[in-house]
Amino acid sequence: MNWQPTSTRNSQPQRLADFGTLSEALDYAALGTTGSNFYDARGELRETLPYSELRQRAVVTARQLIGLGLMRGERIAIVADTDPNFMVIFFACQYAGLVPYAMPVPVNLGSHNIYVQQLRGLLQGGEASAAVAPAEYLGFLEEAAEGLLSLRWRGTTEQLRAREAARVELSPTRLDEPAYLQFTSGSTRFPQGVVITQKAVMSNLRGIVRTGLEVKPDDRCASWLPYYHDMGLVGFVLGPVVSQVSVDYLRTRDFAVRPLQWLRIISRNRCTIAFSPPFGFELCARRVRGSDLATLNLSCWRAAGVGAEMIRPPILESFASRLAPAGFDARAFLPCYGLAEASLAVSFPALGSGVEVMDVDASRLSEQGLVIQVESGSGRTNSFVNCGEPLPGHEVAVVDDAGNPVGDARHGRVLVRGPSLMQGYLNNNESTARVMLAGGWLDTGDLGYLHQGHLYITGRAHDVIIVNGRNIRAQDLEDLAENQPEVRSGDASAFALTDAAGIPAVVIVVECRLAEQAARQALVVRLQRLVYEGFGVRCMVELVASHTLPRTSSGKLSRAAARQGFVQRAGWDQPPIAEAVSG
Amino acid sequence: MHPGYDEVLVRLKDHLQKVAGKGKQFSDDTDLVSQLGLDSVKVLDLIMEVEDEFDISIPMNVLTEVHTVRDLAEAIAQLRSRH
Repeated sequence: MNWQPTSTRNSQPQRLADFGTLSEALDYAALGTTGSNFYDARGELRETLPYSELRQRAVVTARQLIGLGLMRGERIAIVADTDPNFMVIFFACQYAGLVPYAMPVPVNLGSHNIYVQQLRGLLQGGEASAAVAPAEYLGFLEEAAEGLLSLRWRGTTEQLRAREAARVELSPTRLDEPAYLQFTSGSTRFPQGVVITQKAVMSNLRGIVRTGLEVKPDDRCASWLPYYHDMGLVGFVLGPVVSQVSVDYLRTRDFAVRPLQWLRIISRNRCTIAFSPPFGFELCARRVRGSDLATLNLSCWRAAGVGAEMIRPPILESFASRLAPAGFDARAFLPCYGLAEASLAVSFPALGSGVEVMDVDASRLSEQGLVIQVESGSGRTNSFVNCGEPLPGHEVAVVDDAGNPVGDARHGRVLVRGPSLMQGYLNNNESTARVMLAGGWLDTGDLGYLHQGHLYITGRAHDVIIVNGRNIRAQDLEDLAENQPEVRSGDASAFALTDAAGIPAVVIVVECRLAEQAARQALVVRLQRLVYEGFGVRCMVELVASHTLPRTSSGKLSRAAARQGFVQRAGWDQPPIAEAVSG
Repeated sequence: MHPGYDEVLVRLKDHLQKVAGKGKQFSDDTDLVSQLGLDSVKVLDLIMEVEDEFDISIPMNVLTEVHTVRDLAEAIAQLRSRH
């Protein structure tokens, strides 16, 4: 078939997110000629979905969902592969007053069981009343849904399409109602559903497309980011719709195997806006060959956003120098800061300024919380990236452990306030209360500092390990270890380190009584396999004698102390703020 | 076992050796991740090589069932026979 992607230029005047709700945004986008395009692993266009058709299909699907007997505000879980059906169902929920949320597709070798557990956790965590999956994932969904009484309907998109449409007047989701749930990645056992209202997401999108990106009528997006991550969903599904910009999608799996397809799409379709976590740039730099450079022209790429994990400047430098011959301009880099609890984005640097790195004295920072700018290479330094200023209407504050604001260039916890914040975590007042502080502030769980009004992130306050764009809760790794018959509860400690070569590593230290070498080896191998299947990362496992791991006064393991002990035993020279450089 | 299996296995082992590193020993029952030590990036390299070598696309729902060298060879043989 001879497909043409949707045009870059729209037939209608551009409106930048000045809508009350997502359905109003799509109503307007549907009047034009722009839309979404889906590319396969070989770079061929496999499907197009103009916004006009998206709206048409979403309205029909909305009636079919209501026909399932779903009530306003009920949740619909969607296994979110990068295909038109996800977008149709997501927007159908907007028209039907239902609340959608995206669930991942499997990503790891041999991950069948752990994936089913993950889906089950999400179905329960979001209290889904219905769940939809592409046909090839229905088996996993069926397994995950077994015995879940609250889940009243499950099936494929084709099965949903065969249902009768209810003849009702559609009443789209209103301003103060939840637009969707976003599950924070990582925790398989206790996934947290972030509740985002129409008002919150629209306010965030306004900030992104008007201030952060200054979207213009000749912009075009390209994305391989999964729809089940906030950057993929809010940034590259909703962002293009609310600004009527055409977007070219590549499946995450296809990007991971053939990262250069992303660059080829950008080059061929003259895309101007494309984001990735640092590891995406790393994959590209690693794969690109001299012969590829001649076929690429990336001079069109004006906003190469970087976010979702700690930014290590050398990765971006290496990408920029590899791709410079193909016209990539390093000033296009746009290191942003954000989190799902704030819809997506919190701060953007000025467009065209590239990656601004600040080198600070590492010991003054870790010992006194003081940010002293130094020359790079003078003594022990940490390098942090300027993530810019908060979006209009939003504020960032840095506070000490007692919650008191600290001054400029002082290290502390990063708080955010503004209209993009979540309502809270679904059905979890305790977790919500822990992060939603008095005065409308959200505790981001990140550490950082402000310097002349610009935000620099230095690491995670909580024990979340971020490797290759995956957020992994240390607790989840420890639970996994402690579920092994040889390991007692409370005897495992997980953390991240950077090895001598600057490569982030995940470590689990386990207290274990096993004496026999073969049994010890078997436990190590099994843990490594389970961690890989569950989290997609290789890890180091160290077995130590009982009472080796330091405990807090309440008898809990101290991860920071466990890490320090590991470093001493291994003889590594490790900066005290490990995640600051490990990403 | 699938008819094309033996041929697939021979060709697959070349690629495995390349991705895992020279000198790595493995058998049909070797676990790709825990025993052969393939990290997520190496797994991606392997998938790309295998897809190019056999001119197939391995769907994720198939990869979720793959643990060992044998599992992978069987999955490839099966996908090829569908051509």
